[in-house]
Amino acid sequence: MRLDQELTCAQVVEIVTAYLEDALGDADRERVEEHLVFCDGCSTYLGQMRETIALTRRLEPEHIPSRLQDELLAAFRGWSPA
Amino acid sequence: MNAYKFLADGAVSPFAGFRWPVGAWVEAGSADVCRLGIHACRIGDLPFWLGPELWEIELDGDVVAHPRKVVAPRGRLVRRVEAWNEAARQDFGASVLSRTRTRFGAVAVLGGYVGDIERHLATGRVPLAAFAAARAAERAGGPIEYERERSRQAAWLADRLSLGTD
Ligand SMILES: [Zn+2]
Repeated sequence: MRLDQELTCAQVVEIVTAYLEDALGDADRERVEEHLVFCDGCSTYLGQMRETIALTRRLEPEHIPSRLQDELLAAFRGWSPA
Repeated sequence: MNAYKFLADGAVSPFAGFRWPVGAWVEAGSADVCRLGIHACRIGDLPFWLGPELWEIELDGDVVAHPRKVVAPRGRLVRRVEAWNEAARQDFGASVLSRTRTRFGAVAVLGGYVGDIERHLATGRVPLAAFAAARAAERAGGPIEYERERSRQAAWLADRLSLGTD
């Protein structure tokens, strides 16, 4: 990737979610992947994000013990954005 | 057409994590394969996508050419290019280092790339070393020199691995 087209690591991290959600256009997707070929740091980060998303998807409500579910619901009811 | 594809160990695609079967047709959009198409390299594309395993792939359907890859609706792995092994990776890295040292080793600032490449190779990061060599060339002569260095890398790979021409 040439200097004038290069994504920095910070930019890759910023759009990694869009990348994983298949929400990037072809050109941006390619720029991300070209960066990942040589950047160990971003590759590792992407792998961790992918695992986190897979784990979150696997954790369906029925897998959460009902008492914990009640506690979580109670906690979220009292929660409001800062 | 036949093209090439770098894969991770075990014939796994580096981005989608899809484990490629050998010899069987794979359709784009099927489970876990990139929905946008089967991506593959012409010889000139190879240096941008270096990976542990290199495979020859047969593509079928409308093959669309992009600046750094070709994309097809289906493809199947034909054979692994066994010549792309640890020795070849090291020799490729050495050729990149030697060319960069010859061209820029004595040039202020650009000479720093030589040390970078040495460090990347010492830790087995061949793709990063190849990228650094292209960046050194670009800083010396602009984007056209980036492309030229990548072309030299591609020519080395085609020659050493006895790959067919584009
Ligand atoms: Zn990075």
